[in-house]
Amino acid sequence: IGSSRKYEEACDIYVRAANMFKMAKNWSAAGNAFSQAAHLHLQMDNKLDGAINFLDAGNAFKKADPQEAVNCLNQAIEIYTDMGRFTIAAKHHISIAEIYESELLDVDKAICHYEQAADYYKGEESKSAANKCLLKVATYTAQLEQYQKAIDIYEQIGTYAMDSVLLKYGAKDHFFKAALCHFCVDMLNARLSVQRYEDMFPAFSDARECKLVKKLLDAYEEQDVDAFTDAVKDFDSISRLDQWNTTMLLRIKKQIQDDESDLR
Amino acid sequence: MSSDFEAYEQDFGTLTAEITNKIGRIPKLGGEEKTQLVLNVDKQLEEVRELMEQMDLEVRELPIQSRGMYQSRLKSYKGEMDKLEKDFKRSRIAYSDEVRNELLGEDAGSSESQLIKLREERAHLLDNTEKLERSSRRLDAGYQIAVETEQVGQEILANLHTDREKIQRSRDRLRETDANLGKSSRILTGMLRRIIQNRVLVFVLGAIILITIILAIYFNRQKAFFWSTLRQCNEELD
Repeated sequence: IGSSRKYEEACDIYVRAANMFKMAKNWSAAGNAFSQAAHLHLQMDNKLDGAINFLDAGNAFKKADPQEAVNCLNQAIEIYTDMGRFTIAAKHHISIAEIYESELLDVDKAICHYEQAADYYKGEESKSAANKCLLKVATYTAQLEQYQKAIDIYEQIGTYAMDSVLLKYGAKDHFFKAALCHFCVDMLNARLSVQRYEDMFPAFSDARECKLVKKLLDAYEEQDVDAFTDAVKDFDSISRLDQWNTTMLLRIKKQIQDDESDLR
Repeated sequence: MSSDFEAYEQDFGTLTAEITNKIGRIPKLGGEEKTQLVLNVDKQLEEVRELMEQMDLEVRELPIQSRGMYQSRLKSYKGEMDKLEKDFKRSRIAYSDEVRNELLGEDAGSSESQLIKLREERAHLLDNTEKLERSSRRLDAGYQIAVETEQVGQEILANLHTDREKIQRSRDRLRETDANLGKSSRILTGMLRRIIQNRVLVFVLGAIILITIILAIYFNRQKAFFWSTLRQCNEELD
C-alpha cells in the first residue's frame, strides 16, 4: 500500500511538471513527462488514467515531434480498445491520420488510420462520422489512382445520402465524384454509371454537375480538348471547382491529349 | 398655204408653252386647283391635237417638193406633243417635295432631321442593350450566390447530421449512466444496512459477553462464599 501511494504521488508530480513545461512551451519535455506519468499509471493497473496521460503526451508532442505523438496516441488507442471504448479510439485514429496528412506526409498510413476509424465508427453505429472518414479515404485513394476503391466508397456514401432527409442535397456531389473516378478509369464505365445514378436518384439529372459530366463525356468521345476546356470553364464560372476536382479533371484532359497525340 | 401652216405653227408654239407651264405647276398644287388645271391642260392638249391634224392636212395639200421640210417639222412637233402628253401623265401622278413636307412636317431640311432621328434611335437601342447586359450580369451573380448558398446549406446539414448522432449517443450513454447510478445507490444502501446490522450484532455480542463475565464473577463470589461456609462446618464438626 505504501508503494502504491508513492506511485500515485510520483504520477501527480510528473503531471504537474508536464503542465509547467506546457506553460513554458517546452512541448517535448511536457510530452516526456506525460508519458512517464502514463507508464506509472499502467504499472499501477490504472488503465484509464494511463490512457488520459498518453493523450496529453500525444497532444504535446504534436507540436514538437510528430512521430512521438503518433506513438503515444497508438498506445492510448490500444488501451481504449482493450477497454472496449471504440468511439474514442476512432477519434484518436483520426487525429493520428491528420498528423500523417499534414506533418509526416505519409498518405498510405493516413488512409490506413482513416479506414480503421471508419470501421470503429461503423461498429458503434455512427454512420455519419464513419462516412466522414470514408470520404477522406476516398479522396486520398483517388489521388493515388486506386480508382475502384474510391468509386465503391463514393457510391456507397451517395446511396446512403440520398435516402436521408438531411443529406440528400449533398448526394449529387458524391455521385459526381464517383462519376469522375469512373471517367479516369474508362469512359464507357462512366457513361453506364451516370445512367445508373440517374435511375437511382432522379434529382441527379437536374444537377449542373450531371450536365457537366455529360458534356465532358461527349467531348471525350470526340477527342475535342477545346470543348472539354470550355465546358469546364463554364462550370467554373458559376461555382469554383475545388482542388480534388481540378486534379481529376486535369487527369482526364491529359488522357484526351495523349490519345490525340497517339492518333497523330 | 404656207402662211396657214405658219399660223398653225405659231399657235402650236404658244399652246405648247402654256401646257408646259401648266404641267410644271400641277404637282405643286392640290385639290380643286389641281383638277381645274388638269382639265385645262387636257383641253389644251386636245387643241394641240386638232392643230396637228390640220397641219397634216395642210402639208398633204402642198406640192411634193416643199413637203419634205414641212413633214420634218411636223414630225418634230409630233414628238413634242408626245413628250408633253407624257409629262402631263407623269405630273398627274407625281408629287413634289413640298406637298410631302406639308404632310409629314414643317422642317425645311428633312434629311438632317432624319439623321438626328436615326442617331436618337441608335442611342436608345444602345441604352437598351446596355440595360439588358446589366440585368443578365446581375442574374448571373444572383445565380452564383444561390449556388454558393446551396453549398453552404449542404455543409451545414451534414454537420447537423453528425451532431444529431453525437447527441443521440450522449443521450443513450446518459441513460446508461443513470441506470448504473441507480444500481450503485441501491448497492450502497444495501451496504449501509449490512453495516448497521453488523454493528448491532457487535453490540449485542458485546453485551452478552459482558453479562457473561459479570455472571461469572458473581458466581465465583458465590462459590467462594459457599466453600468457605462448608469448611467452617467441617472444622466445627472436627
